[in-house]
Amino acid sequence: MELNFILNGQPLTLTNVDAETTLLQLLRERLGLTGAKRGCDNGVCGACSVLLDGRLVKACRTSLAQVAGHAVTTIEGLRGPDGDLSDLQAAFLEYGAVQCGFCTPGMVIAAEALLRRNPHPTRAEIRRGIAGNICRCTGYQQIVDAIEAAAAQRLAQEERENE
Amino acid sequence: MSNLRYVGHAELRSVDGRARVTGEAQYVCDMTLPGMLYAKVLRSPLPHARILTLDLAPALALPGVVAAITHADFVEHGNFGWPVKDDYVLAYQKVRYQGEAIAVVAAETEAAAEAGVEAIRLELAALPVVGDMQAALDENAPRIPPASVKTDGNLGETIILRYGDPEPLLAAAPVVMETSYDLRHQEHAYLETEGALALPEPDGGVTLFANNQSPFINRDIVASVLGLPPQQVRSIQPHIGGTFGGKDDVLYESSAQVAKLALLTGRPVRLIFTRAESMLASYKRQALRVHLRLGSDERGNLQAAQVKMLADSGAYASMTPMAAWRATMHAAGAYRYQAVHVDTQVIYTNNGYSGAFRGFGNTQAAAAVEMAIDELAERLHRDPLEFRLQNCLRQGDRTMTGNLVKHEVGLPACLEWVRDKSGWQQKRARYAAQPADAPRRRGIGVACYFHGCGLGGEGTDFAVSTLKIERDYSITLTSGLTDFGQGSRTVFTLLAAEELGVELARVQMLRPDTRTAIDSGPTVASRASIVGGNAVRVTATKLGQRLRLAAADLCACAPAQIIRAGEQYIGPREEPHSFEEVVDHARALGLQLAAEGRWEIPAVEWDLETGTGKPYFAYVFGAQVAEVEFNSRTGRTKVTGLWAAHDGGTILYPQGAYGQLYGGIAQGVGYALMEGYLFKDGVPQRTDLRSYRVPRAIDLPEIEGTFIETRLNEGPYGAKNLAEPVMVGTAPAIANALFQATGERVRRLPIPPQPRP
Repeated sequence: MELNFILNGQPLTLTNVDAETTLLQLLRERLGLTGAKRGCDNGVCGACSVLLDGRLVKACRTSLAQVAGHAVTTIEGLRGPDGDLSDLQAAFLEYGAVQCGFCTPGMVIAAEALLRRNPHPTRAEIRRGIAGNICRCTGYQQIVDAIEAAAAQRLAQEERENE
Repeated sequence: MSNLRYVGHAELRSVDGRARVTGEAQYVCDMTLPGMLYAKVLRSPLPHARILTLDLAPALALPGVVAAITHADFVEHGNFGWPVKDDYVLAYQKVRYQGEAIAVVAAETEAAAEAGVEAIRLELAALPVVGDMQAALDENAPRIPPASVKTDGNLGETIILRYGDPEPLLAAAPVVMETSYDLRHQEHAYLETEGALALPEPDGGVTLFANNQSPFINRDIVASVLGLPPQQVRSIQPHIGGTFGGKDDVLYESSAQVAKLALLTGRPVRLIFTRAESMLASYKRQALRVHLRLGSDERGNLQAAQVKMLADSGAYASMTPMAAWRATMHAAGAYRYQAVHVDTQVIYTNNGYSGAFRGFGNTQAAAAVEMAIDELAERLHRDPLEFRLQNCLRQGDRTMTGNLVKHEVGLPACLEWVRDKSGWQQKRARYAAQPADAPRRRGIGVACYFHGCGLGGEGTDFAVSTLKIERDYSITLTSGLTDFGQGSRTVFTLLAAEELGVELARVQMLRPDTRTAIDSGPTVASRASIVGGNAVRVTATKLGQRLRLAAADLCACAPAQIIRAGEQYIGPREEPHSFEEVVDHARALGLQLAAEGRWEIPAVEWDLETGTGKPYFAYVFGAQVAEVEFNSRTGRTKVTGLWAAHDGGTILYPQGAYGQLYGGIAQGVGYALMEGYLFKDGVPQRTDLRSYRVPRAIDLPEIEGTFIETRLNEGPYGAKNLAEPVMVGTAPAIANALFQATGERVRRLPIPPQPRP
C-alpha cells in the first residue's frame, strides 16, 4: 500500500508498505529511526511511545491505518527552538533522570504528551502521566523531578511572554 | 577534601546522558549492517526431556534460510560455565528447563528465520520434572546435571560457615526465635532484551557487539567453544539497556551462537530476544528457602544464630554457588553474635535457571534475617529499631563470620537517620492504636543490612585502566570494567580528571572493547567504583607524575615546587604553563604519555572446608524504613513512604549515587510486593510484562534518601560501593511494616495479596 503521513513535521509518502506492519516496525526497520525502542511488543512497557497528532500512543500497538493522514512525532523530532535539546531532554540530563537510557526516549515523549495536556501537573499527576512507561533503573524519582522542573520552566516562560 | 574539583560534586552529570535523551544512542537492537542475517532460536517446550531427534534439514530447505546450528557445531558440544562447567551453548542430549536453546537458524529475514525454527524436526522424550528443592534431594529423583559434573545427585554444593558453636548458646538462651521463609524467583526485567551481533573478520576471527556485562569473559568463552585463540574474538559493548546482574551467561550463549553463524555464512548475524523469550530463557534471582534460629538474652542482646538455607539453582549452576556463598556470609545479618553456623545447599531443579541478580544472595539472606530479627524484637517487647541499634555492628565489633571490623561503620547513624526522618516513634505509636477492623490499616517497619565489598572470597578482585594523551591534548581513558547504566563511566572520567587536574571534557572514555581495554575480570559485585576507580586513580597518578616532571623541567625547579591552578602548572617564579605546553615539553623530553595501572583489593581468604576465614576486606551498611497502607478488602499493600540511609563511604558522583539508591529501592518494592517469577512443575507462569508486573511510577512513594559518608582508606577518595546493597533493605522493611498493619508475619516473598473480609 501507499502511506501518506507527517513525520516529525515533514510530509512523507511511502510506497510498497506492508499494511500489517506496525508503526514501530515502520519507524525502526524501514525509516531507520531507532529512538523508539522495542521493549515488549504488547504495549505494556512504553519504550516505543510516540505522539500521534500530539497524543501519546504506543507505536508497537499502532497500525498504519491509524497513521495515514496524521502527524507522528518521535524522539528524533523533539527539539528545542534552537534546534538543540528540548526543555524536557535538557531537564532529564540536568536531574539525572537517565541511567541505561533504554526507556528514556519513550519517557521523554510521555512527559511531552503530559505537559501538553496538563501544563501544571502535581508530582502525583506526573506519576500517573508516565504510568504507561516502565523504567527499571531509576525508581522514577529523578524522572519526576525532571518533568516537574521542565513544567515550572514552561510556566515561567509563559508568564514572561504574557507580561 | 574541600579542594577537590569533581569528586563528590552535586553538579556532576552523566557523560553518557546526551546521546540517550536524543535517542541517538545505539543499542545492539538498533544496529543493522549490509547483508546482515537474522537469527532465531528453537527453544525447549518442556522443562526436562531427552532429545531423541534433532533434524535441521527441513529448515535448511526453506527459502531464505541460510544456516542452522546445534551443539554439534561447537568444541566439546559447546560446554561452558564457571565455577561449574555444566552448561551448553545449545542443548546437548537433554533439555533441563523450559525455554532452553536447542538450535539456531540464520535467515535473510526475521520471518524466514522463524519459519526455519518452526520447520526443525525435534522429538523429545519427556523426563519427570523436578520442580521442588526438597523433591530434588530425594534419592529417587531424576538426576538433572550432566554426568560430567561431580555432584551428589541434584545437590550441587554445600557451603558452610562456622563461627564458634551456637548450639549450647541457643540451648541456654531464654528467648529463641525460630522461623522459615520462602523467597521466590525474581526476573531482572531490564528494559532492553538480550541481543548479540557478530561480524566475521578476514582473519577467520569474529567481532561481537553484545549487551553482556563482562566482555572479556564473553570473549574467552566464545573463543573456547569456537576453538579460536581469544585474540581472534573481539567483544565490543555498545550502549546497554540495563542488566542488574542478568546479562552474562545467557549472553555468552547467544554470542557464541551468532559468532558461529557469522563464521559459517561469512555474513553479519544478529539475534535479539523477544520479551517473552527473554523472560523464559534468561536466568533469574534464585529462590531461597531459609530456616533461622536466633537466640537472645533477656536484655535483648543477641547471642547466637543458626541458619539453614536451600538455594534453587535451577537447571544450571551459573552464579548460584557464588550467590549462595554470599548469602551464607550474610545470613545472620549486620549484628554482633558470639557464635553463628550457616549451612547452605545449592540444588539443581528444572525451575529455569538462576544466577546473578542485584544483591547476589544477600537480597534473600537479608530479607529472611531482617524479618526474623523483627519478630524476635517483638517477642522481647522491644521497639524493632531500638533493638537493632542495640545489636548492630559498630567499629571494632566482630561480624557474624567472626571478623573484626576495623574501618568506620555508619550503620548506627543510618538507623538513627531513618528513625528521625520518618517520624518513627510517633507513627509506630499512632499505627499501634488503629482499630483492628479498619478497612485501611497502616504500618511502619525497618530493616538494616551490611554487604561485603567486592568479590570477596568469590575470586581475584582487580582492575586495569589505561590513559593516553592524544595529539589534540584530549585524554583517552579505558577500563576493563564496564557501564550498563549504573554510571561507572562518569565515575572513571571524573576520577581521571580529578587526579590529573584537568577539565572533565578533556577525558574521553572509550566504549568497552576487548581490543583496546585490558582484562579486568567481571563487572559485577558493585565493585566498579572501588576497584575500577582505584585502577583509574593509579593510572592517572603515573601519568600525572610524568607531566609534573616535564613542568618542573620547564620551570627549572624541583617537581615538588610545582603548584596547580586549574589546568595550569606554576613554578616558583610564578610563570604559568598551560597543560598543552607541559604536554609538548614532556613529549620533547621523550616521556611516555600513556600509562597503565592496576589495582587489586586487599587479600581475603576463605576456607571452604572449615567454613572459616575472612570473606571480605570491608563492608557497606544501611538502613531503610517503609510505611505501608494495607487495604483489607483487596488484600493489597501500597508503600506510602520510604526512607533510606546508606553508608557507601565517600560519594564520588552524588546524582548517580542517588539514582542507584532510588532504582535499587524500586526493585526491592517489586521483590516485596509484585514480582514473583513463579514456576509450576518447572513451567514459568508469567512470561510477559503484563502478568509479571514491575513497579511503575504510581507504585512508588516519594523516597527520602541520604548517604552517611564514612571513610574507607582503601577506596578511591574514601569511597565504598552501593549499587547492589541499596536494594537489600527494602523488602524486609516493607514486610515488617505490613506486620504492624495486619498483625500477621510475612513468610513469603513476594507477599501474596490477602483480602481479609
